[in-house]
Amino acid sequence: MELDKLEKLLEKYFEGETTISEEKKLKVYFTRETVPSHLESYRDVFQYFSEESNITATRNIVFEKNKKTKYSWMIGVAACVVFITGMFLTKTTPSGSVDTYEDPEIALQETKKILNMVSQYMNEGKQGLVYLREFENTKNKFIK
Amino acid sequence: MKEKAFISLTNGFKDKLFRLAKRLLISTEEAEDATQEVLLKLWRNKSKIAEYTNVEAFAMTMTKNYCYDKLKAKETGNLKIVHSNYKDEQPSLQRQVEAKDSLDWVGKIMNDLPEQQRMIIQLRDIEQYNNAEIAAMLGIKEVAVRVALSRGRKKIREELLKKHKHGVG
Repeated sequence: MELDKLEKLLEKYFEGETTISEEKKLKVYFTRETVPSHLESYRDVFQYFSEESNITATRNIVFEKNKKTKYSWMIGVAACVVFITGMFLTKTTPSGSVDTYEDPEIALQETKKILNMVSQYMNEGKQGLVYLREFENTKNKFIK
Repeated sequence: MKEKAFISLTNGFKDKLFRLAKRLLISTEEAEDATQEVLLKLWRNKSKIAEYTNVEAFAMTMTKNYCYDKLKAKETGNLKIVHSNYKDEQPSLQRQVEAKDSLDWVGKIMNDLPEQQRMIIQLRDIEQYNNAEIAAMLGIKEVAVRVALSRGRKKIREELLKKHKHGVG
Protein backbone atom coordinates (compact mmCIF):
# COMPACT_ATOMS: atom_id res chain seq x y z
CA MET A 1 0.00 0.00 0.00
CA GLU A 2 1.29 3.49 -0.88
CA LEU A 3 1.95 5.83 1.96
CA ASP A 4 -0.53 8.58 1.05
CA LYS A 5 -3.28 6.03 0.52
CA LEU A 6 -2.44 4.52 3.85
CA GLU A 7 -2.54 7.85 5.61
CA LYS A 8 -5.91 8.63 4.11
CA LEU A 9 -7.18 5.29 5.25
CA LEU A 10 -5.88 5.97 8.75
CA GLU A 11 -7.66 9.30 8.82
CA LYS A 12 -10.87 7.57 7.79
CA TYR A 13 -10.25 4.98 10.46
CA PHE A 14 -10.07 7.57 13.23
CA GLU A 15 -13.29 9.15 12.00
CA GLY A 16 -14.93 5.74 12.34
CA GLU A 17 -15.72 5.61 8.64
CA THR A 18 -13.70 2.67 7.43
CA THR A 19 -15.41 -0.59 6.50
CA ILE A 20 -14.55 -3.89 8.15
CA SER A 21 -12.55 -4.97 5.10
CA GLU A 22 -10.57 -1.71 5.08
CA GLU A 23 -9.79 -2.24 8.74
CA LYS A 24 -8.58 -5.73 7.92
CA LYS A 25 -6.22 -4.21 5.34
CA LEU A 26 -4.87 -1.85 7.99
CA LYS A 27 -4.39 -4.75 10.37
CA VAL A 28 -2.51 -6.74 7.78
CA TYR A 29 -0.34 -3.75 6.91
CA PHE A 30 0.56 -2.89 10.47
CA THR A 31 1.34 -6.40 11.59
CA ARG A 32 4.17 -6.59 9.04
CA GLU A 33 7.70 -6.13 10.15
CA THR A 34 8.56 -2.79 8.52
CA VAL A 35 6.44 0.26 9.12
CA PRO A 36 7.55 3.90 8.52
CA SER A 37 8.89 5.27 11.79
CA HIS A 38 6.28 8.01 12.17
CA LEU A 39 3.57 5.37 12.04
CA GLU A 40 5.33 3.08 14.49
CA SER A 41 2.91 3.74 17.35
CA TYR A 42 -0.09 2.71 15.25
CA ARG A 43 1.53 -0.65 14.82
CA ASP A 44 1.14 -1.25 18.54
CA VAL A 45 -2.57 -0.53 18.30
CA PHE A 46 -3.29 -2.92 15.47
CA GLN A 47 -1.01 -5.57 16.84
CA TYR A 48 -2.74 -5.29 20.18
CA PHE A 49 -6.14 -5.72 18.52
CA SER A 50 -5.13 -8.81 16.63
CA GLU A 51 -3.47 -10.34 19.70
CA GLU A 52 -6.47 -9.65 21.91
CA SER A 53 -8.75 -11.56 19.55
CA ASN A 54 -6.85 -14.74 20.37
CA ILE A 55 -7.57 -14.76 24.10
CA THR A 56 -9.76 -17.68 25.11
CA ALA A 57 -11.76 -18.58 28.20
CA THR A 58 -10.16 -21.44 30.11
CA ARG A 59 -13.03 -22.61 32.26
CA ASN A 60 -15.67 -24.95 30.86
CA ILE A 61 -19.32 -24.50 31.61
CA VAL A 62 -20.52 -26.41 34.69
CA PHE A 63 -24.12 -27.60 34.54
CA GLU A 64 -24.22 -29.30 37.95
CA LYS A 65 -25.58 -26.25 39.75
CA ASN A 66 -28.76 -26.37 37.71
CA LYS A 67 -29.37 -30.07 38.40
CA LYS A 68 -28.76 -29.68 42.10
CA THR A 69 -31.43 -27.04 42.58
CA LYS A 70 -33.96 -29.17 40.76
CA TYR A 71 -33.13 -32.14 42.97
CA SER A 72 -33.25 -30.32 46.31
CA TRP A 73 -36.60 -28.86 45.37
CA MET A 74 -38.00 -32.37 44.96
CA ILE A 75 -36.49 -33.47 48.27
CA GLY A 76 -38.19 -30.57 50.02
CA VAL A 77 -41.58 -31.51 48.61
CA ALA A 78 -41.10 -35.16 49.56
CA ALA A 79 -40.18 -34.20 53.14
CA CYS A 80 -43.30 -32.04 53.44
CA VAL A 81 -45.54 -34.85 52.21
CA VAL A 82 -44.04 -37.31 54.73
CA PHE A 83 -44.39 -34.80 57.56
CA ILE A 84 -48.04 -33.99 56.83
CA THR A 85 -49.13 -37.62 56.42
CA GLY A 86 -47.24 -38.41 59.63
CA MET A 87 -49.24 -35.77 61.47
CA PHE A 88 -52.50 -37.27 60.28
CA LEU A 89 -51.46 -40.80 61.18
CA THR A 90 -50.56 -39.97 64.80
CA LYS A 91 -53.82 -38.13 65.29
CA THR A 92 -55.99 -41.03 64.21
CA THR A 93 -54.42 -43.65 66.51
CA PRO A 94 -56.25 -43.82 69.95
CA SER A 95 -54.06 -42.63 72.80
CA GLY A 96 -56.53 -42.82 75.77
CA SER A 97 -55.99 -45.20 78.79
CA VAL A 98 -57.09 -48.79 78.56
CA ASP A 99 -58.61 -50.74 81.48
CA THR A 100 -56.42 -53.64 82.55
CA TYR A 101 -58.16 -54.75 85.80
CA GLU A 102 -61.69 -56.06 86.09
CA ASP A 103 -62.10 -55.31 89.78
CA PRO A 104 -61.56 -51.65 90.87
CA GLU A 105 -60.53 -52.87 94.36
CA ILE A 106 -57.55 -54.81 93.00
CA ALA A 107 -56.65 -51.93 90.73
CA LEU A 108 -56.48 -49.58 93.72
CA GLN A 109 -54.24 -51.96 95.64
CA GLU A 110 -51.92 -52.45 92.69
CA THR A 111 -51.63 -48.68 92.21
CA LYS A 112 -50.85 -48.16 95.92
CA LYS A 113 -48.19 -50.85 95.73
CA ILE A 114 -46.52 -49.16 92.77
CA LEU A 115 -46.69 -45.68 94.35
CA ASN A 116 -45.17 -47.03 97.56
CA MET A 117 -42.37 -48.59 95.64
CA VAL A 118 -41.67 -45.30 93.86
CA SER A 119 -41.61 -43.29 97.12
CA GLN A 120 -39.33 -45.89 98.73
CA TYR A 121 -36.79 -45.53 95.93
CA MET A 122 -37.11 -41.77 96.10
CA ASN A 123 -36.25 -41.76 99.82
CA GLU A 124 -33.31 -44.10 99.28
CA GLY A 125 -32.00 -41.78 96.63
CA LYS A 126 -32.43 -38.73 98.83
CA GLN A 127 -30.26 -40.23 101.58
CA GLY A 128 -27.29 -40.04 99.25
CA LEU A 129 -27.76 -36.31 99.04
CA VAL A 130 -27.43 -35.66 102.78
CA TYR A 131 -23.75 -34.92 102.62
CA LEU A 132 -24.49 -31.98 100.36
CA ARG A 133 -25.49 -30.16 103.48
CA GLU A 134 -21.82 -30.26 104.51
CA PHE A 135 -21.03 -28.01 101.61
CA GLU A 136 -23.60 -25.53 102.79
CA ASN A 137 -22.17 -25.57 106.32
CA THR A 138 -18.60 -25.10 105.15
CA LYS A 139 -19.64 -22.33 102.82
CA ASN A 140 -21.39 -20.52 105.65
CA LYS A 141 -18.21 -20.64 107.69
CA PHE A 142 -16.38 -18.55 105.11
CA ILE A 143 -19.08 -16.41 103.66
CA LYS A 144 -21.26 -14.67 106.14
CA MET B 1 -31.56 -29.79 23.82
CA LYS B 2 -28.79 -31.96 25.22
CA GLU B 3 -25.82 -30.56 27.09
CA LYS B 4 -23.48 -31.59 24.30
CA ALA B 5 -25.46 -29.75 21.65
CA PHE B 6 -25.62 -26.70 23.88
CA ILE B 7 -21.86 -26.72 24.41
CA SER B 8 -21.12 -27.01 20.72
CA LEU B 9 -23.57 -24.21 19.99
CA THR B 10 -22.09 -21.87 22.57
CA ASN B 11 -18.45 -22.77 21.86
CA GLY B 12 -18.70 -20.64 18.74
CA PHE B 13 -19.03 -17.45 20.75
CA LYS B 14 -18.03 -18.36 24.30
CA ASP B 15 -14.61 -16.74 23.92
CA LYS B 16 -16.19 -13.56 22.59
CA LEU B 17 -18.37 -13.36 25.69
CA PHE B 18 -15.30 -13.88 27.83
CA ARG B 19 -13.28 -11.22 26.06
CA LEU B 20 -16.11 -8.69 26.31
CA ALA B 21 -16.52 -9.44 30.01
CA LYS B 22 -12.78 -9.13 30.53
CA ARG B 23 -12.73 -5.81 28.72
CA LEU B 24 -15.41 -4.44 31.02
CA LEU B 25 -14.49 -6.11 34.30
CA ILE B 26 -10.70 -6.22 33.67
CA SER B 27 -10.21 -9.16 36.05
CA THR B 28 -9.83 -12.54 34.32
CA GLU B 29 -11.39 -14.33 37.28
CA GLU B 30 -14.51 -12.15 37.20
CA ALA B 31 -14.73 -12.47 33.44
CA GLU B 32 -14.73 -16.27 33.74
CA ASP B 33 -17.52 -16.02 36.30
CA ALA B 34 -19.50 -13.73 34.04
CA THR B 35 -19.15 -16.10 31.09
CA GLN B 36 -20.27 -19.04 33.20
CA GLU B 37 -23.22 -17.09 34.57
CA VAL B 38 -24.40 -15.96 31.14
CA LEU B 39 -24.09 -19.44 29.63
CA LEU B 40 -25.99 -20.95 32.54
CA LYS B 41 -28.76 -18.42 32.14
CA LEU B 42 -28.93 -19.31 28.47
CA TRP B 43 -29.02 -23.01 29.38
CA ARG B 44 -31.90 -22.52 31.78
CA ASN B 45 -33.87 -20.81 29.02
CA LYS B 46 -32.81 -23.33 26.40
CA SER B 47 -36.42 -23.97 25.38
CA LYS B 48 -36.52 -20.43 24.03
CA ILE B 49 -33.25 -20.59 22.11
CA ALA B 50 -35.02 -21.44 18.86
CA GLU B 51 -37.02 -18.23 19.17
CA TYR B 52 -33.97 -16.00 19.21
CA THR B 53 -33.00 -14.82 15.76
CA ASN B 54 -29.36 -14.53 16.77
CA VAL B 55 -28.25 -16.42 19.86
CA GLU B 56 -24.75 -15.01 19.71
CA ALA B 57 -25.92 -11.38 19.68
CA PHE B 58 -28.38 -12.17 22.43
CA ALA B 59 -25.64 -13.71 24.57
CA MET B 60 -23.42 -10.68 23.97
CA THR B 61 -26.20 -8.38 25.19
CA MET B 62 -26.66 -10.59 28.24
CA THR B 63 -22.93 -10.38 28.97
CA LYS B 64 -22.97 -6.60 28.64
CA ASN B 65 -25.91 -6.33 31.05
CA TYR B 66 -24.33 -8.71 33.53
CA CYS B 67 -21.08 -6.75 33.53
CA TYR B 68 -22.88 -3.43 33.90
CA ASP B 69 -24.68 -4.80 36.96
CA LYS B 70 -21.36 -5.98 38.39
CA LEU B 71 -19.75 -2.60 37.78
CA LYS B 72 -22.68 -0.81 39.37
CA ALA B 73 -22.46 -3.02 42.43
CA LYS B 74 -18.77 -2.19 42.68
CA GLU B 75 -19.40 1.51 42.37
CA THR B 76 -21.82 1.51 45.28
CA GLY B 77 -19.12 -0.11 47.37
CA ASN B 78 -16.16 2.00 48.44
CA LEU B 79 -13.96 0.96 45.53
CA LYS B 80 -14.66 4.21 43.76
CA ILE B 81 -13.21 6.29 46.57
CA VAL B 82 -9.88 4.56 46.17
CA HIS B 83 -9.87 5.38 42.50
CA SER B 84 -10.83 9.05 42.61
CA ASN B 85 -7.97 9.90 44.92
CA TYR B 86 -5.34 10.04 42.26
CA LYS B 87 -7.07 10.90 39.04
CA ASP B 88 -4.70 13.06 37.07
CA GLU B 89 -4.33 13.81 33.41
CA GLN B 90 -0.77 12.58 33.06
CA PRO B 91 -0.30 8.82 33.10
CA SER B 92 1.00 8.08 36.56
CA LEU B 93 4.51 6.82 37.01
CA GLN B 94 3.19 3.61 38.48
CA ARG B 95 1.13 2.93 35.39
CA GLN B 96 4.09 3.68 33.16
CA VAL B 97 6.12 1.14 35.05
CA GLU B 98 3.27 -1.33 34.96
CA ALA B 99 3.04 -1.18 31.20
CA LYS B 100 5.94 -3.47 30.50
CA ASP B 101 5.91 -3.15 26.77
CA SER B 102 4.12 -1.01 24.24
CA LEU B 103 1.31 -3.51 23.58
CA ASP B 104 0.43 -3.58 27.27
CA TRP B 105 0.42 0.16 27.10
CA VAL B 106 -2.27 0.13 24.40
CA GLY B 107 -4.31 -2.18 26.64
CA LYS B 108 -3.95 0.24 29.55
CA ILE B 109 -5.07 3.17 27.45
CA MET B 110 -8.02 1.21 26.14
CA ASN B 111 -9.12 0.15 29.61
CA ASP B 112 -9.07 3.78 30.73
CA LEU B 113 -11.68 4.70 28.12
CA PRO B 114 -15.32 5.17 29.19
CA GLU B 115 -17.16 1.85 29.33
CA GLN B 116 -19.19 2.37 26.19
CA GLN B 117 -16.26 3.39 24.00
CA ARG B 118 -14.19 0.57 25.40
CA MET B 119 -16.93 -1.92 24.63
CA ILE B 120 -17.55 -0.61 21.12
CA ILE B 121 -13.86 -0.73 20.22
CA GLN B 122 -13.73 -4.25 21.62
CA LEU B 123 -16.67 -5.33 19.49
CA ARG B 124 -15.54 -3.55 16.34
CA ASP B 125 -11.74 -3.63 16.26
CA ILE B 126 -11.20 -6.90 18.06
CA GLU B 127 -14.30 -8.98 17.35
CA GLN B 128 -15.01 -7.36 13.98
CA TYR B 129 -18.75 -6.99 14.29
CA ASN B 130 -20.22 -4.34 12.02
CA ASN B 131 -21.85 -1.21 13.39
CA ALA B 132 -25.39 -2.46 12.79
CA GLU B 133 -24.70 -5.60 14.83
CA ILE B 134 -23.10 -3.59 17.61
CA ALA B 135 -26.01 -1.15 17.68
CA ALA B 136 -28.45 -4.04 18.02
CA MET B 137 -26.40 -5.66 20.80
CA LEU B 138 -26.11 -2.49 22.84
CA GLY B 139 -29.56 -1.17 22.08
CA ILE B 140 -28.28 2.14 20.70
CA LYS B 141 -28.37 3.85 17.31
CA GLU B 142 -25.82 3.09 14.61
CA VAL B 143 -24.76 6.72 14.52
CA ALA B 144 -23.99 6.59 18.22
CA VAL B 145 -21.80 3.53 17.61
CA ARG B 146 -19.81 5.36 14.94
CA VAL B 147 -19.36 8.46 17.09
CA ALA B 148 -18.22 6.47 20.12
CA LEU B 149 -15.89 4.42 17.94
CA SER B 150 -14.29 7.54 16.48
CA ARG B 151 -13.92 9.17 19.92
CA GLY B 152 -12.39 6.08 21.42
CA ARG B 153 -9.92 5.57 18.58
CA LYS B 154 -8.88 9.22 18.67
CA LYS B 155 -8.38 9.06 22.41
CA ILE B 156 -6.10 6.05 22.01
CA ARG B 157 -4.11 7.91 19.35
CA GLU B 158 -3.86 11.01 21.52
CA GLU B 159 -2.58 9.04 24.50
CA LEU B 160 -0.07 7.18 22.37
CA LEU B 161 1.29 10.40 20.90
CA LYS B 162 1.55 11.85 24.40
CA LYS B 163 3.57 8.87 25.43
CA HIS B 164 5.92 9.28 22.48
CA LYS B 165 6.42 12.97 23.21
CA HIS B 166 7.30 12.24 26.82
CA GLY B 167 9.69 9.57 25.63
CA VAL B 168 8.39 6.88 27.89
CA GLY B 169 9.18 3.32 26.85
